[in-house]
Amino acid sequence: MSSTQAGTNTPPGSDSDSTMMRRKKGGGRGVMIAVVAVVVVIILILVGGYAAGWFKTSTGSGGTGSGGCKSPTPATLSGAGSTLVAPLMFQWSAVYTSSTVGYSSVGSGAGISDITSKTVDYGASDAPLNPPQRTAIPSPGVVTIPESIGAAVPIYNLPGISGHLRFTGQVLAAIYLGDMTNWNNSALQTINPGVTLPNANIVVVHRSDGSGTTFAWSSFLAAANATWKTTYGHSTTINWPVGIGAKGNAGVTETVQVTSDAIGYVDINYALTNGVAFGAVQNPSGNYIVANITNIASAVKDANVVFPSPTGDWYNVTVENAPGAQDYPIATYTYLFVYTDLGKAYGSSMSLSTAENLVNFLLWIVGPTGQSYAAPLYYVPLSPATVTYDTTTIDSITYNGAAITTCVPS
Amino acid sequence: MTRGNPFRPSSSRRTLRAPRIGDRIFFVLTLIGALGVVAVLIAVVAALFHGAQPALQQYGFSPVFGRIWNPSDYVYGFVPFILGTLVTSTIALLISVPLSLGAAIFLTQHAPLWLREPVAQVIQLLAAIPSVVYGLWGLIIITPLMAADVNPALASYLGWTGLFGGPTNYGENLLTASIVLSIMTVPTITAFSRDAMEAVPRSQKEAAISLGATHWEVTRRSIVPYARSGIVAGIVLGLGRALGETMAVTMTIGNRNAIPTSLLSPAQSIPSLIATDYFEAITPNEIPALFEMALILLLITLAVNIGARAILARLALGSGVGAE
Repeated sequence: MSSTQAGTNTPPGSDSDSTMMRRKKGGGRGVMIAVVAVVVVIILILVGGYAAGWFKTSTGSGGTGSGGCKSPTPATLSGAGSTLVAPLMFQWSAVYTSSTVGYSSVGSGAGISDITSKTVDYGASDAPLNPPQRTAIPSPGVVTIPESIGAAVPIYNLPGISGHLRFTGQVLAAIYLGDMTNWNNSALQTINPGVTLPNANIVVVHRSDGSGTTFAWSSFLAAANATWKTTYGHSTTINWPVGIGAKGNAGVTETVQVTSDAIGYVDINYALTNGVAFGAVQNPSGNYIVANITNIASAVKDANVVFPSPTGDWYNVTVENAPGAQDYPIATYTYLFVYTDLGKAYGSSMSLSTAENLVNFLLWIVGPTGQSYAAPLYYVPLSPATVTYDTTTIDSITYNGAAITTCVPS
Repeated sequence: MTRGNPFRPSSSRRTLRAPRIGDRIFFVLTLIGALGVVAVLIAVVAALFHGAQPALQQYGFSPVFGRIWNPSDYVYGFVPFILGTLVTSTIALLISVPLSLGAAIFLTQHAPLWLREPVAQVIQLLAAIPSVVYGLWGLIIITPLMAADVNPALASYLGWTGLFGGPTNYGENLLTASIVLSIMTVPTITAFSRDAMEAVPRSQKEAAISLGATHWEVTRRSIVPYARSGIVAGIVLGLGRALGETMAVTMTIGNRNAIPTSLLSPAQSIPSLIATDYFEAITPNEIPALFEMALILLLITLAVNIGARAILARLALGSGVGAE
């Protein structure tokens, strides 16, 4: 930005240049040699220092961490991660009075790296830990707690088309593979009888950053299309064959809103709160479902997932393509990660009293009071079975091997 | 320091300046300032090395030649972003340099006096516009224009060059980012060129005219050679801005993490990737890889600066003071 300033002030060229011009014959080379010398010295120092291991220090200086993670005040808790769940998390920390709960909405990836480096008390992510991330978690390991439910919906910008355009997994995969390039194609027309589709090229929008929404979306495409499955798979980042990238759910929403003929995918609450047109998606029963809290909840119920052990591998847990006739097919859990033994994990930087506060907060989130805040913000409350599962998981968290006394506020 | 005798010859070496405490303090303060600036540079480079260390240990500098960036497969290749950065900056300068030189020549040689100052002020106002505003303008105005009219026209008339192939419906692409960058660099280059041209002595111009030179010949033979070093300095600063610009590029380049196939395809630059990826980086070595890329960007900017200084020094030596 300094160049901006140099441009704003009139004089930079005039006097310095004329003097420079006069001196240049002798001085130019000297100045250059000096500059090169300084650069060489800096590089030498750094290479030397690098070889001598100066720069090896403790982990976690990535800068993503929310400040004051391990606060000395016993009743202050900190978490970080998912932007998808952030509105709900902020609501929870605002109404929960027994502890001060801080949450940094920095993204699922940062949430995972923050819990790995123990700079927060809990991490939040819309995607489960993948195998390398699980290995990276230091002893004693973390438990995975599914704490709310979202859904990915296709959003589009087609002026003049009202209602919810219909999509199938095959059509969406073809669009995102770059095989289907025009809105006015027979496959889309067949499933949308009576709709006049424009003769316009499809502008594909995807996430440019790692994202739990991408995880859910690419899982759905992989289930629908074999080429997608073998070439691109499902992950939080995808090496997209076509399209433009945008940052975050908000970025995708905005890009689709300003780009004619665009298609994108976001979590349902972003589509609803921003008033963007979103499509109905065909489920395995053949019905086209417009996502809402009821059919997302029934999808999660009908998916009837058998959860792995709390410390197990959650990577393949999915609630997509549930069998019920009215189930929305692209639902996803979002998760919290907490260490199994808080005393062993954090040592002296987490007191027993802080650990008690943390466990109480987690129990309150999954309990009836916490879950009652979900629906008004377009999140789906957990099923009673999941609440029971989560409660058992949270009760299993220990402090230096000893069970933690809990006292959940109402 | 006795007040009555300011000219007391304390020692022969100190005849000119008495040791004043204020001067000493001022000297130390300026020294701290100078050393502080150098220290900040070293600290920044050290922090980059520190952050990049895991990636450097595992991959060395091989990612610089890697063609694919796919963190979820632990593949970190920088080529798409190095390419995106260099291509957008180069095209931006190809557009902005002629524009800026034209503006500078007009403002110093041809414009009526009453017009010079206002127009120069307006051009400099461009430099005061925050880059996010340029980004918004690019996103809202330029992008739809590109998708609707410019891209198809370029593809049909210049498609044979191979530079404008592929789908034409993406308004966010290499060319859009380059255009926005070119407008952002115009004020810098114009200001420097104008100042340099204004510094050309009247006698220089009058001598050329007296030899029967036309307007064009005066400008080409007499004004531009004399002002050359100022113009190059402006171009270097402009290039520096283009290489490092983050916000406006992020909003207009399309953020596609792959090697662009044409000037009309969405792409990604180094600063833009770092800004968008950092907070959502997922895999273990992704952040170190981003740090390593920042290091590469720093090296590129450094190389450009040193190279430009070398050119500058040679120009000044070679041309001397314009025509003798």
